[in-house]
Amino acid sequence: MSVTPGTAIPPWAMSDIDPSRMKTMAAILRDPYPVHWDRDAVAALGLGDRVINQGPLNLSYITNMLIAWQGPTCIRRLQVSFGRPVLDHDHVIATGTVTSIEIVDGEHRATCDVRLEREARPVVTGTAVVAFDPSEPEDH
Amino acid sequence: MSMVSEAEMLALIGHRFPGGVRSIEHWENWLLTDCTGREQLPDHLVHPVALFHVPIQGAGTSIAELFALGQVDGAGSVGLDGYDWEYFQPLREDIPYRFAGGVIDVQRQLDERGNTYDRFVFSIDLATTDGKPAARITNHWRLRR
Repeated sequence: MSVTPGTAIPPWAMSDIDPSRMKTMAAILRDPYPVHWDRDAVAALGLGDRVINQGPLNLSYITNMLIAWQGPTCIRRLQVSFGRPVLDHDHVIATGTVTSIEIVDGEHRATCDVRLEREARPVVTGTAVVAFDPSEPEDH
Repeated sequence: MSMVSEAEMLALIGHRFPGGVRSIEHWENWLLTDCTGREQLPDHLVHPVALFHVPIQGAGTSIAELFALGQVDGAGSVGLDGYDWEYFQPLREDIPYRFAGGVIDVQRQLDERGNTYDRFVFSIDLATTDGKPAARITNHWRLRR
């Protein structure tokens, strides 16, 4: 499949946000914010009893989509904004669409609108710049 | 507790982190990648989302220290507004990278409900130890007052 403006990036889904991964992530990040592992802390905010996924994990689903599309070293830039939180056991899906193509220092790059959605509502939105080989079919 | 003054927050602009040299170990990258729900990357490549915590730690600070710098604590006091991450070369495990950065902007603003927050922006550059640029991150946090 060629990469042109309008090309849809194959979606990448996380079908069940696992709270145990948030605990591991909190340790890796050395993130003291208790809303990622302590349900009481979330409840104290009036946000229910489900822990909140880390923003970087939400972004990682978008990066996983891009890597699956154009390979593990394809990402050149990510500019994203965060909206509503993602909670444990949510189902989220990353999607994207190519908006423009350019060649920089001989490298083909696609600028893409990207988003992560929960219940068809965006929770992360932004732009990614991705390098691609115009002679290669996507097979990653 | 009284609200930190706007002048006090604006004085943070230009604050520099200690900086330093850090590598990303295999165990750390393995667990990080596993948390994202995908299989491990080939060739000792580091997962791209490492650009959240690795620059913060490599620059000689921490999430907790950044919270303290912005005078916030407790659940609900910090939100993510956005990231701008640039990748100049693939990051790999066990390669030492040099980190330098600091606070580049602070703006006191009101949210859509009229609540005060500080838009807190910091940027960190990553380079190889021989000076080749590797990545740059600019993170925008919302410090609620």
